[in-house]
Amino acid sequence: MSSYWPWWAGAIGLALVTIGYTVATDRSLGVSSAWDRVVHWRRERDLERVEEEFTDDRALADALAAATAEHFGTAPAVPMPPHGDTRPPEPAAESTPGENPSATGLRPAPVVTQAALLVSIVLGGWIAAITSGRFQVRFDMGPDFRDLVTANPTTMVIVLFVGGVLVGFGTRLAGGCSSGHGLSGCGRLRPVSIVATAVFFGIAVAVSFLLWKVI
Amino acid sequence: MRTRGAVLLANIITGLALGYTVANIGFGDYGELNRMFTFQDLRMFLAFAGAVVIIAVAFALLRVRRTPGRIHAGVIPGAVLFGTGWAISGGCPAIPIVQVASGYLPALVTIAGVVVGIRLCRWANARYFHLDRGSCGL
Repeated sequence: MSSYWPWWAGAIGLALVTIGYTVATDRSLGVSSAWDRVVHWRRERDLERVEEEFTDDRALADALAAATAEHFGTAPAVPMPPHGDTRPPEPAAESTPGENPSATGLRPAPVVTQAALLVSIVLGGWIAAITSGRFQVRFDMGPDFRDLVTANPTTMVIVLFVGGVLVGFGTRLAGGCSSGHGLSGCGRLRPVSIVATAVFFGIAVAVSFLLWKVI
Repeated sequence: MRTRGAVLLANIITGLALGYTVANIGFGDYGELNRMFTFQDLRMFLAFAGAVVIIAVAFALLRVRRTPGRIHAGVIPGAVLFGTGWAISGGCPAIPIVQVASGYLPALVTIAGVVVGIRLCRWANARYFHLDRGSCGL
């Protein structure tokens, strides 16, 4: 137990990870949204493709409009002869280049990179367990889980599964977890994240007291 | 704009550092977690709270863009479910991964539960809740 880091080292570590990610990628770190997109990777990949095509189409439309303007002079708004193709100027009128950067800036990281994030967490956790001498293959969740929750292996599997479903469902419904709302969101002082963190922490405190004192 | 390769590299480094840090703080240890939530041991709580303070100061100094976020109908029910799940299984989405990496094989069941819960949320939202952006990946 004493082999864990002191609190200040943990605080600095978590802060460096979150700040580094934000500065490097211009995005907000969130493990549950990474999970969400990796779990739905097929759909997310299709969405990414559609988005890429959309960007390409827009570029094509802009190029066509520019070519048309060049060909007909600088005024594409002049009425075309009846047989002329009036299509190219239309997308040009719709395209608003100013929207482009803001739309892409809010786009989540590509799903491949989020899968890489999850795999890297396994590796990082494994390196930590090996180097600290804590690594031990076991078929239970440790003595404290046995004392506080259950010693029965079947009940343990049920509790872990139900708990996992609650975590998966709850984090996505709330729009974030302890990293997305807790670290990134509270660090940005977003009201929604502060509310979410206060609620999930408060409920976890209440349930933990029940497990410790009552059950 | 960041290139795809740079984002990939940043995610790999972040994952390694996050897994390493979270495991060394002790978030994967169910006993440590219960002692944090019952205030018997403030070490992990201070690690978390201290990180939030450092991040808030750094983001203010760096003038990090504030992302929009409104308190929609899913935030509080979702947080209640998540808090309950975290307290009984010991897993927030990153933790079961670290637990498996530390040798706790039953945490694979927690991961399976998380995956089912995430799928269920998208399905239920599309069918019943109809919450907009910021919830269930929509």
